[in-house]
Amino acid sequence: MQRELALKVDNINVFYGEFHALWDVSLEVEPQQIISVIGTNGSGKSTLLNAIAGLLQPRGGDVELFGEKISGMQPHQTVVRGVSLVPEGRRVFGRLTVYENLIMGAYTPRARKRRSTVLRMVYDLFPRLHERRNQLASTMSGGEQQMLAIGRALMSEPKLLLCDEISLGLAPLIIKDIYKKLEEINRQGVAILLVEQDINRSLKACQYAHVMLEGKVVLSGNPASLTLEEVKRAYFGV
Amino acid sequence: MIDLAQPIINGLLLGGLYAVIALGLSTIFGIVRVVNLAHGDMVILGSYLSLAFCMWLGLNPLWTILLVAPIMFCVGFLIQSVLFNRVLGKGMEPPLLMAFGISIIVQNFLLLVFTSDARALKSDLSMMTISLGEINISLLYLLNFLIGLAVILGLRQFFRKTFLGRAIRAASDDVVAAKLVGANTSSIYAYAMGIAALTAAVAGVLVGMTFIFYPHTGPQYLIIAFGVVIIGGLGSIKGTLVGGFILAMAQLLGAHFFGPGYQLLCGYMVLLIVLAIRPNGIFGKA
Amino acid sequence: MKDVICRSRLVWMGVLTAALGTVPLWGSDYLVLFFFLFCLYLTVAQMWNLLAGYSGLISLGQQVFLGIGGYSVAVMGNYYGLNVLLSILAGGFFSVLLALFMSLFIFRMKGVYFSIGTWIFAEILMIWFSNWSFVKYGTGLFIKTNPPLSTNETFYIAFVLGVGSVALVYFIMRSRLGLGLMAMRDNEDVSETMGVQVFRYKLYCFLIAAFITGMAAGVFYIFQVFVQPYKAFSIDWTVKLVFIVIIGGIGTIEGPIVGALILVFLSQVLADYFSVSLLILGAIAIAVILLAPKGIMGTLQAKLGFEILSPRRK
Repeated sequence: MQRELALKVDNINVFYGEFHALWDVSLEVEPQQIISVIGTNGSGKSTLLNAIAGLLQPRGGDVELFGEKISGMQPHQTVVRGVSLVPEGRRVFGRLTVYENLIMGAYTPRARKRRSTVLRMVYDLFPRLHERRNQLASTMSGGEQQMLAIGRALMSEPKLLLCDEISLGLAPLIIKDIYKKLEEINRQGVAILLVEQDINRSLKACQYAHVMLEGKVVLSGNPASLTLEEVKRAYFGV
Repeated sequence: MIDLAQPIINGLLLGGLYAVIALGLSTIFGIVRVVNLAHGDMVILGSYLSLAFCMWLGLNPLWTILLVAPIMFCVGFLIQSVLFNRVLGKGMEPPLLMAFGISIIVQNFLLLVFTSDARALKSDLSMMTISLGEINISLLYLLNFLIGLAVILGLRQFFRKTFLGRAIRAASDDVVAAKLVGANTSSIYAYAMGIAALTAAVAGVLVGMTFIFYPHTGPQYLIIAFGVVIIGGLGSIKGTLVGGFILAMAQLLGAHFFGPGYQLLCGYMVLLIVLAIRPNGIFGKA
Repeated sequence: MKDVICRSRLVWMGVLTAALGTVPLWGSDYLVLFFFLFCLYLTVAQMWNLLAGYSGLISLGQQVFLGIGGYSVAVMGNYYGLNVLLSILAGGFFSVLLALFMSLFIFRMKGVYFSIGTWIFAEILMIWFSNWSFVKYGTGLFIKTNPPLSTNETFYIAFVLGVGSVALVYFIMRSRLGLGLMAMRDNEDVSETMGVQVFRYKLYCFLIAAFITGMAAGVFYIFQVFVQPYKAFSIDWTVKLVFIVIIGGIGTIEGPIVGALILVFLSQVLADYFSVSLLILGAIAIAVILLAPKGIMGTLQAKLGFEILSPRRK
């Protein structure tokens, strides 16, 4: 019996107006996996995550979440089905406090019911957020904002977490800390699709990796079997 | 100097009313990033609705607030969901021009239904005053100020403590992030506009009780609202109050020194000067 | 093939323009009046379009120049007996002066603040003129021109302005100024770094628009014979301009032509029902913004590539 996939992206094509941003992109994520997508700026990684979350609609192909077709849905519909995106640039609600940011994460009715339980779990995972719960989000450091963004995404109890360049602009020690938390989250049963520019970090964290270039997946494989050379070549397109 | 005390007191009280008038415009501009050029007409629509209820039910105008406010909430909600939401993100011109179109429609609709006669919401309050020594405080002005303050503080609490209020604040901070947590931002905007219309309705009743109005009075209050927002800055309740005071004061002092015909003019002048010197207003966030 | 199409369209334009210019010779009085108004609205709308469609300046206060133009003709004609053509030029001249003064304030404002700023100026002028003894306060002035003009003569002046305004916008867009404007329209910040003097170009357009609008107003009020602050500085002007440009197609040269035709037609048809006519105009404008935001000519241009006067260099 084939295990149900958490996520199946099947040959999607995404356009920005007339610009063809994603070309026949496919990938799969199993329920307990961490999958990496690596690429430079403009390779289409964020576009891919935005399309899965529902911010963009693919013009061809399908996206399936635990067997259910979600391509064509809006974000408020995909969130209730268990997808949560930690967006590029963190995008915390600057003028709200940490606490308010987190409870905004539990916006949907179902999440609202479980709010206090899940909030406690997020505070356990990120004690720093509990310390600063009454602080305005805009006054926090980059690392703290990143934790907040992840915490907020977790408030809807997703089964699939999409992470868009969470290491961007952060100090190495903080990145290490965040990735440790990601592994913890994964252990608790959340599948993760990780998009990064940092090759080493993401290869270390994942069970399977894809390299994207100019909107296409150009290399895929188990990180153990991929050489750094191969990956670099695919990454830069040489 | 005692001579000035009267216009100053009046300015303070009137400023409260001006702040309420501006509240809806400021809210929508800060949240949805749409400048509702029809805001002044929505205030006057509130006045006319109140008039209709007064004529029909023989009520004291103040009571009509309870009827007019919910109706205007729905009007604002519909305008946003059916019209403005469709043109958001398509550049600066469509929402601006659409609001302009709505303004024209409201004005001419009121003209058709109510004719161009001067109107006022009559009540006994307009004649009553309280005397403090040589200064007379109009009871109506005082009431405007108090109700205005109540609305402003009430709205502040709403934004801070309620689920919807928080959602509106979040959507105004980052609309993409709001979508990502599952908020239907179109409907959030509609609620925000409904609230703005509701405050406009309250302002409209108060305005109608205090001043004469015509179908074409709307733009006058739009400019007042804009003046308050420009002087006091956007996105700040404190700024809206201060802006209201300064504008009202400028008008009344102008009338005091130069004559009643110059009341509006002085207000406009102060406005232009502030726009030229500090385009973001005194408390404005850039 | 495309060249042939373009040329035949230009020929058609030429024929229609000639027909327009000779209306007094073959048309009824009603038609002369109709096309007189058409030419004037076309002129003012082209200028508004130059500002809003090409320079990103949405002016809700063009009525300032319309009022100044009207009053210039009135004052110059009545009080100083100035020749009528010079009075019209004076209208344009005073409008430019006013525009220069306004620019000190409103060019510091961005976006909607600019628009409101222009509107505030109009309101200020309305109040000012209503309280000014020199122009007989709010009761307004009758206009006597020196020498008095026949309907046909006023028509020809309007015709020259109408055709001139279209030609002017066309040549501006094909000039260096126009190239800069189109770059600004696409991306203001980037074009600034590439040497496009954003502020100066916007100012030039604003001044040119003021000049032409002021003159058109002069002609209009000569015909009206009477100018009054409440009407001359009224926002109603802007309502009509917005309607014309939205329906016709913002940012196209042919748009105001189509829009002005529709506006004059509708206002004649609805002449007896004044407030309903504005209501209908407003409703149509909203419907157009929702359904066809590029207006008639804009949509034709986008969907079928249909252009007659293209500012694009080929």
